[in-house]
Amino acid sequence: MISMRDVSKQYVPDKPAALIDVNVDIEQGEFVFLVGHSGSGKSTFIRLMLREILPTTGTIAVAGQDLGKMRNWKVPFLRRNIGCVFQDFKLLPNKTTYENVAFALEVIGRSKHVIRTQVPEVLRLVGLEDKMESYPDELSGGEQQRVSIARAFVNRPPLLLADEPTGNLDPATSLGIMSILSRINKTGTTVLIATHDREMVDSMRKRVIALEGGRIIRDQSRGVYGYGD
Amino acid sequence: MAINLGYFVRESLVSFRRNWVMSLGAIITIYLSLLLVGASIGSSVVVNNIVQSVEDKVSIRIFLKDGAAPEDVESLQNALLKDERVKGVTYTSKEQALEELKKTMEDSPEIVDQLDVNPLPASLDVDLEDPRDVMDVVAFIKANPTFPNVADKPEEPEKSLKYGQQIVNQLFTFTRILRTIGVVFIAMLAVISLIFINNSIRLAIYARRKEIGIMRLVGASNWFIRTPFLMEGVVQSLIGALLTLGTLGLVNLYVVPIVRDQLPFLPFSISGTVAVQISLLLVISGIVIGVIGSGFALRRYLKV
Ligand SMILES: Nc1ncnc2c1ncn2[C@@H]1O[C@H](COP(=O)(O)OP(=O)(O)O)[C@@H](O)[C@H]1O
Ligand SMILES: [Mg+2]
Repeated sequence: MISMRDVSKQYVPDKPAALIDVNVDIEQGEFVFLVGHSGSGKSTFIRLMLREILPTTGTIAVAGQDLGKMRNWKVPFLRRNIGCVFQDFKLLPNKTTYENVAFALEVIGRSKHVIRTQVPEVLRLVGLEDKMESYPDELSGGEQQRVSIARAFVNRPPLLLADEPTGNLDPATSLGIMSILSRINKTGTTVLIATHDREMVDSMRKRVIALEGGRIIRDQSRGVYGYGD
Repeated sequence: MAINLGYFVRESLVSFRRNWVMSLGAIITIYLSLLLVGASIGSSVVVNNIVQSVEDKVSIRIFLKDGAAPEDVESLQNALLKDERVKGVTYTSKEQALEELKKTMEDSPEIVDQLDVNPLPASLDVDLEDPRDVMDVVAFIKANPTFPNVADKPEEPEKSLKYGQQIVNQLFTFTRILRTIGVVFIAMLAVISLIFINNSIRLAIYARRKEIGIMRLVGASNWFIRTPFLMEGVVQSLIGALLTLGTLGLVNLYVVPIVRDQLPFLPFSISGTVAVQISLLLVISGIVIGVIGSGFALRRYLKV
């Protein structure tokens, strides 16, 4: 699903690189945590997957496509195969839950029929079937994050990326979000979560890739967060 | 495709409502610009008509001395007719000249009747294909060997010839200045409208940056993201163009007849085909300005 070979990313010349010599393989259907302190390069990793940025050196393949060789006009089609969730939800305040999720299908040209069947379905999956007509400011943080997960998943992408999805949420709510992500993973979707939420990582016992100063310092299946403070 | 169209229309309306001050500003500047473009084209058409009608009246008159040999006059006439710059040559006898004078002095024809002798010379009137050739043809006439034989005052050829060189030159200078000013003005206004559209689209992009970010994230194609803004720019300038057409139509209907009544001797009208051409030109310029203005904004503020 994802393969990185000797990937380094340096944003600014003469400054330390954000990622250094990263080599990673993630298979279809895996559930992976990307952990590390703030500034260790987690977001950079995710932005590389989305081809928001290109690596300074090395090659990245996502779903069999070499991102370095990909033409710009093809990038939108890559992103249709990647769902993405962020710490700040990125919901549109003037749209209801239903409209926010429908928007993602609308702007990639899906038909009304597809929208009418898929949106309620995915909202049921995240447990928001009763909040379809609510606006974001009428929802709790956890509910807003579930809307954003629904939006990321409504097109059934084979890969779901989440950058600190529980960063703004309390532990109990975070657990709810994690269980939705793991439910999505069970449908066969590869899930990659960047986080520094120790308890959550430790409780899930999934594969953990640990970053420090832009380097991978550990990569274990069924791992724990594992940094001493 | 039907879904997309509905989406674009809805998005444009929402964006217009949210951004109406700026959109209105863009529409008004385009309106004013195109109005001035239309007015200057319209007035230059009118001025051209006027110039044309004056040019048509420009001819060279050769005064002939009394008792000039008819064969000399004929030879000069034939030499002129052979020249391709000359459209035609008419002979006016002394008597005809007097009749014409009488006509122009309708109010007191008795003055003419009181004359003992006819003081007016006979003349040859030379019409030209292009009034700009006046000086060349005048030179040609002076160089003609029979000219001194027939001229009213052979020792002073200037006094035997009358032509409207002055008027023609002044009119040409005038229209040239008018055209230059028009072009400079129109160019300036086009730039101003471009700046306004560019600005209004920039604000529209800014107002919708969050939507745009999400659209990119979920994989909306570039043209899908850009089209609503492009349409917005085009719709703004189309509205401006239509307002312009309406205004010019009203002016043509109500103001031009008044001016025409005040200045009946000038050909103050714009033909239907010219009006259609001007309208088309305005609408097309509007669309072009809209596309270029929003295109600029998209290139600068909407990197995809
Ligand atoms: N756009 C950018 N320009 C310059 N430096 C950046 C940029 N984004 C991130 N960085 C730097 O790269 C390093 C890694 O950042 P990031 O990937 O955001 O880490 P994390 O998400 O783990 O906190 C940091 O030192 C950060 O300052
Ligand atoms: Mg980060």
